[in-house]
Amino acid sequence: MIAIWYAVVSFTLIVYIVLDGRNFGAGMLQWFVARTPEERRQVIAAIGPLWTWHEVWLLGFGGTLIAIFPRLMASAFAGYYLALFLILWCLIVRGISIEVGGHINDRLWQAYWDFMFVCSSFLLAILFGAAAGNVARGVPIDGQGNFSMAFFTDFNVREHVGLLDWYTISIAILAVAMLAAHGATYLTLKTEGPVHDRSEKCARYLWIAAVPLLLVVLIESRIVRPDLPGRALFNPFWWIGLVVVATAAILLISGLTSRRELRAFVGSNFLIVGLLATGAAAIFPVMLKSTLAPENSLTAYAVASSSTTLLRASFWWPIGFALAVFYFVVISRRYAGKVSVQHDI
Amino acid sequence: MNSIFNDPGFWHRLQFGFTIVYHYLFPQLTMGLAWFLVYWKWRALRTGDEKYNQAVRFWAKIFGLNFAVGVVTGIPMEFQFGTNWADFSKYAGGVMGQTLAMEGMFAFFLESAFVGALIWGEKRLGPRGHFGAAIAVAVGSWISGYFILVTNSFMQHPVGYQIEPNGSLGIASMSTYLLNPWAFVQFAHNQLAALVTGSFVVAAIGAFYALRGVHPVQAKLYLRAGTLVGLIASLLVAFPTGDQQAKIVGNHQPITLAAMEGKFEGGSMAGVALIGQPNVAAQRLDNPIEVTGALSFLAYGHFGSFVHGLNDFPKDQWPDNLELLYYSFHIMITLGTLFIVLMGLATLQNWRGRLESSRLLLWVLMLAFPYPYIANTLGWMTAELGRQPWLIYGLFHTRDGYSKVVSNGDAIFTLIGFTGLYFVIGLLFLGLTGREIGKGPEEPAVATIISKPEREAVLV
Repeated sequence: MIAIWYAVVSFTLIVYIVLDGRNFGAGMLQWFVARTPEERRQVIAAIGPLWTWHEVWLLGFGGTLIAIFPRLMASAFAGYYLALFLILWCLIVRGISIEVGGHINDRLWQAYWDFMFVCSSFLLAILFGAAAGNVARGVPIDGQGNFSMAFFTDFNVREHVGLLDWYTISIAILAVAMLAAHGATYLTLKTEGPVHDRSEKCARYLWIAAVPLLLVVLIESRIVRPDLPGRALFNPFWWIGLVVVATAAILLISGLTSRRELRAFVGSNFLIVGLLATGAAAIFPVMLKSTLAPENSLTAYAVASSSTTLLRASFWWPIGFALAVFYFVVISRRYAGKVSVQHDI
Repeated sequence: MNSIFNDPGFWHRLQFGFTIVYHYLFPQLTMGLAWFLVYWKWRALRTGDEKYNQAVRFWAKIFGLNFAVGVVTGIPMEFQFGTNWADFSKYAGGVMGQTLAMEGMFAFFLESAFVGALIWGEKRLGPRGHFGAAIAVAVGSWISGYFILVTNSFMQHPVGYQIEPNGSLGIASMSTYLLNPWAFVQFAHNQLAALVTGSFVVAAIGAFYALRGVHPVQAKLYLRAGTLVGLIASLLVAFPTGDQQAKIVGNHQPITLAAMEGKFEGGSMAGVALIGQPNVAAQRLDNPIEVTGALSFLAYGHFGSFVHGLNDFPKDQWPDNLELLYYSFHIMITLGTLFIVLMGLATLQNWRGRLESSRLLLWVLMLAFPYPYIANTLGWMTAELGRQPWLIYGLFHTRDGYSKVVSNGDAIFTLIGFTGLYFVIGLLFLGLTGREIGKGPEEPAVATIISKPEREAVLV
């Protein structure tokens, strides 16, 4: 039961990252693939109508996390206090810059909001990457299950760690590269003209750049968490994740080389889902490892709500999920196809 | 002075209070406005009259701005349960997390999927599809309101829970939790109050256009719908929903009721103070003008009913800011009464066909739109201050709920950050909304073609 709920909670977060990740990616690349104000509007139009729907997945994750793993939510969110508010503020600025940029047809106004859009997208990719690194590395949890952390300490990965160290920074760099590649793949699918051509080129370079970065992070992870590989081998979800990664990589490569844009984008989505899923499966059942003492680590079993509460939640959650998918199917058919500035704004 | 700086609980409360009050300025309009959009879209479908579609297009833009600010300011709310109220989340997360998650899964997915379609999708969806999108958005926003109110009602009047072996709360009965009687009353009262906000804003913009002499057809439409809905909603907010709300507070939180009324000594034939200042040090209401027996009647149904005073309860169970609670409640009631009078007058004049020519009334209508926002905010302040010193009434103290690992400085820092960020967002929102109102609804293409030569003919 707890393992299933762990999978569900991870799944909602992964879906959020993969959905909003393409918006972060498109945002980071806006200045590089779009030069004129019209082209930049085209990038916004590609992600425009559905970004709030994507952000709801973050809310779905937050709510489910409180209900299912209240003690993890409490200690993690309070521990990451300032970092989390940085993420929330960046999300606010990102959302505002998407919404208000188009309201006034003025070059300076739009240039300013495009700048805010690019900056907040970069920061969000970095922060979410560093957050993933923190979960993988562990945080200084004390005997009461609490922690509070500085942004950085001595950049080392043992004992009194900070939010940023060499390991979390390298994962942040990987996150920037992969989400940018993901966004470029999405823009290739959704745009035409010069934005499309530049995005296509960007997607190739970025995916190629992501491969060595991913290898570096894997080797680093072996050093930071030597305990993981042994446990992961016995977790079926880890193997499923690995199969997803392999299949998605093949789809992505064949899509990019044969210019099948939809195939490449599907591959890109599942590649990120698969990678995050293998990561989530590998650390189970420890949800947040303590860098101070192994017995302080928060495991899914220790932080979960009672089994009756979990049972109550499993009656309604699948219905809510099915409805969410249904709305998505209804609405995404309306937004299928390429966007062009003339028609959409 | 010093004690406040040293009390982290104060800063966590202030931050949550500030961010939630600010956030709720936006959903209260969208929840009210959504049904205007549904109504006009339905009229457009039935009559084929283009003026209704113009109204929908114009108000959908205003709706979109409100929705966007509502989303970006709403996301921090959920996360603050963990960042600022970690000990509360540890204790009650298994219960109230359920409805927070339900709000996302059942309401926000629906609302956010269709709001884009409502604003930009008129051509792609066709008239029926567009009507459907309006309904989806309206229903989604009201469902989300219900789930949040269930969460709040649990804090006011906990039901359906059990205490787990580790001391935290879990769900004993989901249906009892979701069908909390407090939530029904609060939902009715709150949603009607949102409708009051929506109707005042619609009427205000109608009055603005009427006073300027622009968009006469649209102005008439907004004034008619705004004043009629405004009157009905204002009446229903007071009775029966406000009355029921007072009764449920009287039954389950008698201390709160005493504090709301500034009643220190209990007794039968208890009066409602129309005017008066609570003097907590001397434990009395200064300069009161009271309607004798009214409180007994309103709260318990008989003039002779006994109403508890604050002195009937130990002092550590009193709400911790009596004056603020008293004034919030009383100003809300006063404003609510004035809303009925104003909208009643406007509806009467409209029925006589004289609303567009009553300039004074139009001025008042135009300038009245901030007051429902104030009344809504004060209503929530009454609910939340009245619940103190409890976070979950009778179960869990507010002082036990905040995150003990977060330092005072961190809480003050983020509060300042929110203040700055929300100030900028407020400026942007007002500026952009003002622009849209200034531009106004598009005139129908046909009408301009006909009217232009006509106007020239008149000039010649």
